[in-house]
Amino acid sequence: MTISESSHGRASTVYKPPHNRTTLRKTVIACGLLSGTLLLVVVLMSLVGSEPLPAGASLCALLSFGRSQCTLTSDQFAILFQIRLPRILLAAAVGGSLATAGASYQALLRNPLAEPYLLGISNGAAVGTMVALVFFGASEWSRPLLAFVGALVATLAVYRLARGRAGATPERLVLAGVIVTTFLSSVIVFVTTLMDATRIRSFTFWLLGDLSGTSKNLLPVAIAIAFVGTVVLTANARSLNLLMLGERDAFDLGVEVGRVRIVVFVVASLLVGSSVAASGSVGYVGLVVPHLARLSLGSDNRLSIPAAALGGSLFVIVADTVARTLIAPRELPVGAITALIGAPLFIYLLKRT
Amino acid sequence: MPQTSQTVREVTDDAGRRVTVPLRIDRIISLAPNLTEIVYAIGAGDRLVGDTSYCDYPPAAKTVEKVGDTLHPSIERIVALRPQLVLVSTASQLEVFTHQLETQNIAVFVTDPHDLEGVFRSINQLGGILDHDDQAKQLVDQLRSRTAAVEAAVKTTQPVRVFYQLSAEPLYTAGREAFVTDLIRRAGGLSVTADVSGAWPKYSAESALAARPEAIILPTGGSMGAANSTVAEPLQRSPAVVLGKVYKINDDHLVRPGPRAVDGLEEMARSLHPDVFKL
Repeated sequence: MTISESSHGRASTVYKPPHNRTTLRKTVIACGLLSGTLLLVVVLMSLVGSEPLPAGASLCALLSFGRSQCTLTSDQFAILFQIRLPRILLAAAVGGSLATAGASYQALLRNPLAEPYLLGISNGAAVGTMVALVFFGASEWSRPLLAFVGALVATLAVYRLARGRAGATPERLVLAGVIVTTFLSSVIVFVTTLMDATRIRSFTFWLLGDLSGTSKNLLPVAIAIAFVGTVVLTANARSLNLLMLGERDAFDLGVEVGRVRIVVFVVASLLVGSSVAASGSVGYVGLVVPHLARLSLGSDNRLSIPAAALGGSLFVIVADTVARTLIAPRELPVGAITALIGAPLFIYLLKRT
Repeated sequence: MPQTSQTVREVTDDAGRRVTVPLRIDRIISLAPNLTEIVYAIGAGDRLVGDTSYCDYPPAAKTVEKVGDTLHPSIERIVALRPQLVLVSTASQLEVFTHQLETQNIAVFVTDPHDLEGVFRSINQLGGILDHDDQAKQLVDQLRSRTAAVEAAVKTTQPVRVFYQLSAEPLYTAGREAFVTDLIRRAGGLSVTADVSGAWPKYSAESALAARPEAIILPTGGSMGAANSTVAEPLQRSPAVVLGKVYKINDDHLVRPGPRAVDGLEEMARSLHPDVFKL
């Protein structure tokens, strides 16, 4: 069952929530398996990089949580724990954040094509980050803060543009997203043109999504926001399930529609903002991963939101491993890899809806 | 304006194009800061009627009418200034633009230096076109002897392994095709990224650290301003940083293939081999 199908539910049909205990067990099993896979992938991808490291010693050091250097040289140890592992953890935080944000937008807007990148929300966050870099360059904290503000403003703009008298159809929402995206892209081009030529190079790369600039200070923030954001949105999953029937039906069933909408907008903007501030606009994660989660696990948000979070982490970790090894020692932007996978899938989903 | 065979000549530029230029050139526009510097250095600065917002040396170049920046020049302003010749560098990727100028009967001369020899060639070519052969030859002789002095001084030294950090976040460096890679070699250094393809590749932080650079060069302080004045975080524990061998060198001397590249060469050689240059 896809979301768009469920939205055709009539007001007269009484909504029966899925059997709670079944869902809980399914959620625990699925998320347990995904968490295990995530842990395994983090370890495995730590063994791959532009510099070959001895696998046994690296594994030994990783399993000791960095307390023992095992037989690694101090350079190898630094590569593993100060360069590679932080980047993988950032990839996990960014992937989890974007996929959770995507899954929540899709449920709230009852639109399978709602995705932070396609709706221009990532671009809103990018404009916020650029403003922070230009005006408050010294303060690292201003980046996620202004990125959040940018994402929230873009979200509200798309939402207002997309709502016609007949409600927000998928087509209308995508069109609104295109308008906001292109408008904000022009703002970005305008700002980069005004800036120093020497800084444009780094910006164009960063706009495509790049995880190489992992900041020691912002990494824990990104991880914390990803975790708390996923928990808060999962806690609202039951309301989102009811909202998938339509706002009026959900209201009749006791959902505080306005409150849920604000929670999703604010928390998802926070997730997108912290991701973009740390890594630029990594596209399509919020589209690909929630869809795969719903295809394989069904559209109950109590299950699909946390599953999408873990799946998003997996997806971006693997994509970034490709980005940093494919043409090593040179690097590709991770956004190019996710878009290469995501765009064809988007076309496929567009044809199906 | 009709031109007879007596008033024009044909020259071949670095792009392999045969360019017809007037014998006597009074109005030129330079679209790259290194070419502006060459024009002034051979004593033809008074014929410059237009240059770019990046052209800031010598100071007189700042007062020349600006036609935009190297990447986005205004064709209307260029045509309005009625130049006989426009000088461009391939770095500006102006193929379409070149064609537009040629349909306006404005000659376009392309330069493409990849090493110091290429700079000397550009100087001699411009000297020939602008009828300043003697000044050009004098300048090249001077620059050659300064270069030879540096090379002789570092000849017996052990090459220092250098990482050239173009920007820290993201990490960019100089590759095989970069002009500065040749300068580093002549200064008694060995760029650890000398074999990486491209001119300015984005580089893996782990590979940069694993290469164990003994010195890090930060081009900064010129057009870059205060940007790029700190070493990228992952390289903080490299031998170069631990031993305090991080050298800030005016970026304009390192990235502009013009006469001041030899200043950059001398500055790098003195930094990398201080004992050789001790007086």
